[in-house]
This record gives sequence, C-alpha cells and structure tokens, in this order.
Amino acid sequence: MPLSTQSQSEDVQDVLVANLDNARSLSNILKAITCKDHAIFTATANGLKVTVEDCKCMQANAFIQADIFQEFTLKDDIVVFQINLTVLLDCLNIFGGTPAAGVSTALRMCYRGYGYPLTLFLEEGGVVTVCKINTSEPEEPIDFEFSSSNVTNKVILLSESLKEAFSELDLTSEVLEITMSPSQPYFRLSTFGNSGNAHYDYSKDSDMMELFQCNRTQTNRYKMSLLKPSTKALAISCKVSVRTDSRGVLSLQYLVRNDDGQICFVEYFCCPDEEVEEG
Amino acid sequence: MNCVIEGNCVKAFGKAIHALSRIGDELWLDPMVKGLALRSVNSSHSAYGCFLFSPLFFQEYSFGSASKHGKETIKCKLLMKSVLPLFRCLTSIERSVERCRISVSTATDRVVIQFFCRHGIIKTHNMHFQESEALQAVFASHLCPNVLRAPARLLADMVMHFPPFQEEITLSITAMTVTLRNYQEGGKGHMKTLCTEMSLHPDEFDYFQIGLDSDITFCLKELRGILSFAEYHSLPVSIYLGAAGKPVCFSVDDMVLEGTVLLATLMDSESNDHSQPTEPRSPTTPRGVNSSAQAVDAFEGPSSMHHDIPAEMVASSQGSPVINSPNRMHQNMWPACLSLPGSACTSANTSPASTKICSLLFKAVSSKQDDGACAAQPPVLACYSDEENTDDNQPGSPSL
Repeated sequence: MPLSTQSQSEDVQDVLVANLDNARSLSNILKAITCKDHAIFTATANGLKVTVEDCKCMQANAFIQADIFQEFTLKDDIVVFQINLTVLLDCLNIFGGTPAAGVSTALRMCYRGYGYPLTLFLEEGGVVTVCKINTSEPEEPIDFEFSSSNVTNKVILLSESLKEAFSELDLTSEVLEITMSPSQPYFRLSTFGNSGNAHYDYSKDSDMMELFQCNRTQTNRYKMSLLKPSTKALAISCKVSVRTDSRGVLSLQYLVRNDDGQICFVEYFCCPDEEVEEG
Repeated sequence: MNCVIEGNCVKAFGKAIHALSRIGDELWLDPMVKGLALRSVNSSHSAYGCFLFSPLFFQEYSFGSASKHGKETIKCKLLMKSVLPLFRCLTSIERSVERCRISVSTATDRVVIQFFCRHGIIKTHNMHFQESEALQAVFASHLCPNVLRAPARLLADMVMHFPPFQEEITLSITAMTVTLRNYQEGGKGHMKTLCTEMSLHPDEFDYFQIGLDSDITFCLKELRGILSFAEYHSLPVSIYLGAAGKPVCFSVDDMVLEGTVLLATLMDSESNDHSQPTEPRSPTTPRGVNSSAQAVDAFEGPSSMHHDIPAEMVASSQGSPVINSPNRMHQNMWPACLSLPGSACTSANTSPASTKICSLLFKAVSSKQDDGACAAQPPVLACYSDEENTDDNQPGSPSL
C-alpha cells in the first residue's frame, strides 16, 4: 500500500503519526467546531485535541481519543501546532463530502515538528492524494479554569430535545439566556429578539432530562453569536451536558458517536455576557 | 382574549397562518363572539384573506375582557415574520405539541403563544403587538352571478400546471366550460412565453351556477395558500365570481372554521366607459337597497351577530373608472369593484379615472357615505371598522 511504504523512510523524523481507516471519524467532529479559520492541535498520549477560540471568551474543543485511531504514534510527550482548519477540512474531504456507500477515505497524518507542514495522505479506491498544509506558531489556548468541583448546576439532556429549540432560536436576539434552578422553571433557554421574547422550559421530570443537579438558581446571558456554532456539535451528538460554575462560565459537553459507534467528545466553553442578579 | 387549541388542531391553525402568509406581511388577530378571526391583506390591497375559527375549534375560548365600556376586545396586529416561524415546521408541531395557548395580555402589551409539548417541554413566545382597528372586507357572495364548488384536489391539480413564478391567471367561465389559462401582459400574440390552458366541463364541479359569462384575471400566488389549506383538510372550495373587475372570492368551511380569500381582478380592457354600463346597474340599485337590508351574509350566522361586531363597513360605488392608460403599471391593473349594490352611490361617473388606482381600499367608515357622497371616493372592498356603531346604515351587510 502506498501509504505504508512511504512512511518507512519518514518514520524516524515524524513526531506525530496518526492513521485512520475512515477519515470521516475526524472530519465530522472537526466540522462541529469550525467557527473560526484557525485551530490549535494538541496531541498527547491520550489522543488529539483540537481547539478553536473566538473573541477570547468562547472556546470549542474536539477530543479524539488515541484508541479511535488505527495507529497513533507520538515521539514527544506533547506536540502542538496551529493550522488552518478550513483548509484541513477541505483536504480531508478532497474525495468529496458524501462518500458512496461502503467506500471510505483512509487517512495518514504525519508531522515532523516545529516549522514543518502537516502532511496528509488520503486514499480512496486506490487513488492517493498528498496534502501538505502549513502550520504556524500555536497561540496559548485560554484556560477557563473550569473545574468539576466548582460546578454549581449541571443537567444532562438528550440532544434531540435541544436540537429543535436551537433550530428555532430567535437569531435577532443578541443573547441566549440560560436559567438553571432547583425550582421552576428548572432549565430555561430565553431569547430577546425584535419581535419579543421567547422561553424554552425543560421540566426536571422530563424524560429528556437524564440528569438534573441544580443547587442554586442561576441566570446567565451569553452572546448568541458565540453559542450559535455549538448547534453543529449538537446536531451530531446524542447527549449534551450543560454546566455552569459559580462565575457563570458555561460548559457544554457533547457526546458524539462516530460511524463505527466509537465515542468522541466536543466541548464548548463560554463566558457570560453580563452578570444577572442571581435569584 | 385567551384560547387553548388542542394538539391535533394546532396544525390546522398553523396551516391557516401559512395560507395568510402568502397574502400579507401582517396578521390581524380579531377575537369575537363568533370566534377568533385571523386576517391579512397584501400591501397593494388587492388580496385579503381571513380565517375564522369558531369557539368550537378551541378547547377553551374566551375573548375580550370586562371593562367599564362593557365587553372590550383587543384587536392585535402582529408581524407575519414574528408569527410564522412559530408554526413553520408543522410536522414537528404535529409530533410534539400537546396543546397551544394564545392569549393577549394588555398588562404587558404582549400576545403570548405557548406550546405545551411532549416530554415536559413548554415553549413560550411573548410578542409585541400593535393595537389596531379591525380589518374586514365586505363581499356579497350571494349576489355573485357565478358560483362554483369543487374539491380542493381538483383546483390544486389545475393550478399545479402553472409554474411557481406565474403571477396571474385567467379564469373563464361559460355555461359549457370553465377554462384556466395563464395571463400575459400585452395580450395574445406574445410569442415568447409558454401558454398553458386547461378546461373543465361543468360536470366536474360539485356545484355549478352560471349567471354571466366572464373572464377574470387574478393573482395566483395569493390563492395557493388557501388551496393548500383546503387540500390538507380535504375541504371543497367555493368560488364566487362575477364580471371582470369585480373581486373573486375563494372560500372553504367546515364545522369549526371558515377560510376566505378575496382577490381583486383585472378590469376588462375592452370596456372603455368611465362607468359600468348603467342598464344592468339601475335595475339592481333598487333591489340593492332592499337586499342590503335583508342581506344574509354567507359567512356569518344570524344577523344578530352583527351588533356584536364593531361597525360594519359600507359598500361604496359599484363601478370603478377604467384606467385607459396604455402604459399600465402593475398597481393600476387591479381595480376592484365591489359588486354589492350600495344604496349610496347611484351616480355612475366617478372622479377622473386615469389618476385613481382602484383597489381594495381600507378606510374608516365615515358619515359622508350615508348621503351617497361616496361617488367621489374609490370603491372600497374592505374597511377598517369605526369605533362608532354605524351599522344602522347598512344592517346585515355581509362581512368576513
């Protein structure tokens, strides 16, 4: 196979080599966080983490565990680079976005280290494409200091109940307000648009609510423009956990199952737009 | 106003809003004793749509609020683009909505539309509204010479043959045949476009009454909404039409709801008179005076209902001036003449034709019309109702 023969000579120099039989396992999840051009790739023994940030107050992360890959070899403890995500996605989909049934694109990613491009070998039906994408100095990703111990409120909802709400959100509203409370309305999404306001209330007893742990009433507003991209992650996920900490920072964690039934995660962090009086 | 719609009916309500969205950009909510009316009119006032849901349609229905003036109803005008998205996806509404509550809160100046959905999910929309005069159209369907009734499927099948961009179509009716063809500006001989024409035999209609051979041309786009509604509910559609220039009425009804669309039709280009031929009119005028008093509104119940409704609008002149200018702007092509003989206007010649655009005009009823001075005013198909009760002038005028 062309891919493996080529690698033998370069193996020694690559700090990262990752093989995937089905490139869609990577491209689908990366699409869910594409809201900005550039992404930071962080590879550790656990796997690959891809980070996208917006306005210094929103961060989206996609986690692809090492065991998703058919081969995942790391020469250093941690490998970090920045790359144009849009270009990377275009390359991953170079054989066309919608594959024929039963046909998948195989991927081999190689990175030689700082200053080198990311090399992609993509193969489908015997045709091989080689892409080299320039990498750049990675920016330091924001650390939101979101810790599980500081979580005030947490709910886990089945994605299908939220998908409809997010698709209907009044986009003329500048903010999305999230209220979580141990009492009515329990979990509420609100918008304030040109024609009026709208509220989506989820009861804690709803069968769509897998987990409901709200200790204190919190209402926080987040910029709609920052949260709207999370709809892409919602669309491919089966469950979502919504957590806020004492500062009102929002963490959305999406559980995504890929074509082979393996689980990946997408996480969104967002800072609140303004402090609302906590009731 | 406060009403609750049970799950299965919410989709029908939504479909009515879809149909009205084909007509205008604003939606009037008019709660009345006889039910909740949803109305819309287009910007050029050449199309009017109304859906009336009787109290039986609702799980709960209460209109108005007690005030020192007695029963006071709030008539609201909402932007279609605010309301339509709430009912956009009818399949998901059908799947998940258990009931829908619509109420008008004067305290907060909002119309509240709440969807109680499965899985304990409640969606609440609080919308700004503008308090507005009632918008109603007057149309004497019982005075139309031609009446057709056909299953919605038949009309949908006919209309399907016209491309979506086809603006206007011409319906021709004679005792032997009903023909539908696309209308082209510039008349026949226009060789560049595809001409579509189809004919039906009167037998294909459930009901066929012809009093006058006529060709009427009207806008197709505004009709599609109600046809789609009728098809969904498998309701027959009634068509009331007269001569060219008079409005055409399409209506559907069942036990709990009625839907009507009134469209202006193109004035007959051959008739160059300023006035409509006087001969047909003068015999009708005296009849008109009497008939208006006894007019049974096809769309209303017993006439006692009228008094509960804010002042009726008054029909005005019968004939509208023909616009002779060869260079016709689109607006000028839609003079609408109300076929209801008005006791007020006997004079055929109205003000200079060329500058007036006759359309469905909406205006408040003024006392001037009582003494027949409406000759100076363009014909009115639908009016805003006045605060004062002027229906003693035209008792029993049909309204929609």
